[in-house]
Amino acid sequence: MSPLLAVIRAETFKVLRKRRLYVLAGLYWVLLPVLALIVARVLNTTLASSFANEGGNIDQTLQLFASPIGLARLALTGPAYTSPTLYIVAVTLIAALLIGDERSQNMWKTVLVVQPSRVAVMTGKVIVALGSIAALMAGAAVAGFIFGAIGTTFLPTHFGGNWLELAGLYGLQALQLLAPILLAFLLITLVKSGVLGVVMVLFLPSLIETIYTIINTISQVQPLNRINAVFQAIKLQAVWQELPKYFFTANLYAPGRKPATSWLKELGVGEEFEPLQNLLGNGLPLTHSALVMAGYALIFGVLLYWWFLRRDID
Amino acid sequence: MTIAISATGLTKQYGRSKAVTDLTFEVAQGEIVGFLGPNGAGKTTTLRMLAGLVRPSAGTCSVLGASVPGPTLRRVGTMIEEPSFYPYLTGRDNLRHAALLHGDVPATRIDEALEFVLMQDAANKKVRAYSQGMRQRLALARALLWRPQVLLLDEPTNGLDPTGIAEFREALRAVAQSGATVLVSSHILAEVEKFVDRVLAIDKGNLRFDGTLSALLDRMGDQQVSYTVRAADSAVLRTALGDLGYAFTPRGADGADVLVPRERADDLVSDLTQRGVKVLAAAAHGDDLEAAYLKLVNPSGRPT
Repeated sequence: MSPLLAVIRAETFKVLRKRRLYVLAGLYWVLLPVLALIVARVLNTTLASSFANEGGNIDQTLQLFASPIGLARLALTGPAYTSPTLYIVAVTLIAALLIGDERSQNMWKTVLVVQPSRVAVMTGKVIVALGSIAALMAGAAVAGFIFGAIGTTFLPTHFGGNWLELAGLYGLQALQLLAPILLAFLLITLVKSGVLGVVMVLFLPSLIETIYTIINTISQVQPLNRINAVFQAIKLQAVWQELPKYFFTANLYAPGRKPATSWLKELGVGEEFEPLQNLLGNGLPLTHSALVMAGYALIFGVLLYWWFLRRDID
Repeated sequence: MTIAISATGLTKQYGRSKAVTDLTFEVAQGEIVGFLGPNGAGKTTTLRMLAGLVRPSAGTCSVLGASVPGPTLRRVGTMIEEPSFYPYLTGRDNLRHAALLHGDVPATRIDEALEFVLMQDAANKKVRAYSQGMRQRLALARALLWRPQVLLLDEPTNGLDPTGIAEFREALRAVAQSGATVLVSSHILAEVEKFVDRVLAIDKGNLRFDGTLSALLDRMGDQQVSYTVRAADSAVLRTALGDLGYAFTPRGADGADVLVPRERADDLVSDLTQRGVKVLAAAAHGDDLEAAYLKLVNPSGRPT
C-alpha cells in the first residue's frame, strides 16, 4: 500500500473515533435547521394570513430560509457569521486532533518510524483534515435538505432553487478552508503546543486585521500625524487602502457569505443600503477570494513542509 | 555476516554541546546488543538518529543496509523513551491505528501481538486507564506488529516492577529467537546482562566499550557484587563468610551484607550451604552501571 493511502486510512480511523467531532456535527447538522424551522413555523402561523403576507412576502421569506434549498444555504452561510466562525472552530478541532495530539501525546516518535515518509504523513493529515471538514459541510447540506423537506409538509415551501450554484459555493468554501488548515498545522508545529497553536489560529488573523484597522483609522485623522505622514511620504497610501481586499478572513468566508447579499436583494434591500451590505459581506468576487486564499495556502504550505521535513523529533 | 545496524562517525550537536561524538559501531543481523550508559550519556539521541527522528550533525547511520531516514524503517520496531499512545483510543485501536499507518499488517496480527504480551483482556480498555506496566507491554506489542527485523528499545523496562521486568525479558528472548536484531539501551547492567550477546558502552556521547559481556566483566576486573544474606544461625553464617574470605557487615540479628567477587557471585549460596549455613534468603543488589562506569573509564573509582 502506498504510504499516502496508509496515512489517510489511519488518520481517518482516528478522526472517526473522536467523540467531540460528533458533538460538533450534531450541533451543526441539527440545531441550525431545527431553530430555523421553529422560527418559520411561528412566522407562518402568526403572519401567513395577515396583511404582511400581501403579495406573498412571508411565503417568499419562508422559501428563502426554511425551504430545502433555504436550509441547505443557511447551513453554508450561518457558520460563516458566528464568532468565531464554526468553520474555524472545526478547523482548529481537527488540527488539534491530527497535529496537536501528536505533539501533546508525544506520538511523532512513533508515527514517523511506522511511516517514515514525512511528506506522506503531512499530506495524508492535510487531506484527512480537509476531507473531514468537507464531510461536515456535506452533512450539513444534506441535513438542511432533509429538514427542509420535512418543512414542506407544514410550510408553504418547495424544493426549487439553484442547487448547482449552491453546490459550487459549498465546494469553493471547503477548498478555501485549506489555507486555515495549513495555517493551523503550521502554527501548532512551530509553537510546539497544540493549545497555543489553536488559540493563535482563532485569533491571529483577526488580531492582525484589527491592528490594520486601528492604524488605518489613525492615518486618516486630520491634521497630519506621524503615521499618515509616513504613508504619504512613502506614497503607499493607495496600496495601504487596498490591503483589506487581501485580508485572510475577508476572503476566507467569501463563498459562504455570498448568499447573504443575494438574500438582501430578494428581501428588497438595495445596494444603496451600504451599512447592511458591509455588515454581511464585502462584496469581493469569488474568483478574487479563491486566488487570494490559494496564495495564502501556498505560503503556509511551503512553510509547513519546509519546517516539518527538517525538524528533529525531540 | 550481514550488518543490520551501522553507525559511522555519528555526531549530534545541540548548540555548543555534543550529545553524541563520532560514534562508530555495527550490529550484525540476529544479534542482541545492550547499549549501556549512565543517564545523559547519549543513548536516546543515538537511538533517535537510528530511527530517523533526529538528523545527525555529522556522520551517517544505516539500518538493514539503507541509510535512515528511509523506507527500511518500516521493518524496524521501536520503543523510545516513555511509551506514548492516543489516550482516548483503546489498546486495540491504538494497535489498529499503527497497523493502518504501516499499511502492510494483516488484521489477525493485532490479536497475535496482544496475546504475545498478555494484553488480550485489557485490549478494549481506553489507554488512559492503563498502568505503566500495561503501557510498556502494549508498546512492545506495537513494536512487534509488523514482525520487525530490527528492534530499537530505549530503556524498555523503566517503571516496571520486578515481575514485569522478568516478563519483559522473557518476551525479548522470544523475539530474539525469531531472528530479529535487537539494540536495547539501559543504564542498569543487571537489566540486560541476562540476554545480550554484546555490549556497547557509551559515556558523555563517546563510545567507551564495544565487546562481549564477558570482556566487559574482565575489564571491570575486581568488580564485586553486593549481597544481603539471612541465615538460620548468624554465627555459622559469619564464620563461613570469614572462611570464604569475603568482607561483610552484620545486618540485624540473622544477616549480613557481603561483597562477593563477581566471578564467584553465582556460587555464593552453594558455597555457604557447603559450609553448613542454612540460608534463609540471599538477595543481590543491582549493580548500577553508573558505578561500573567509574571503574571502566576512571580506574581510581572517583567521579571525573
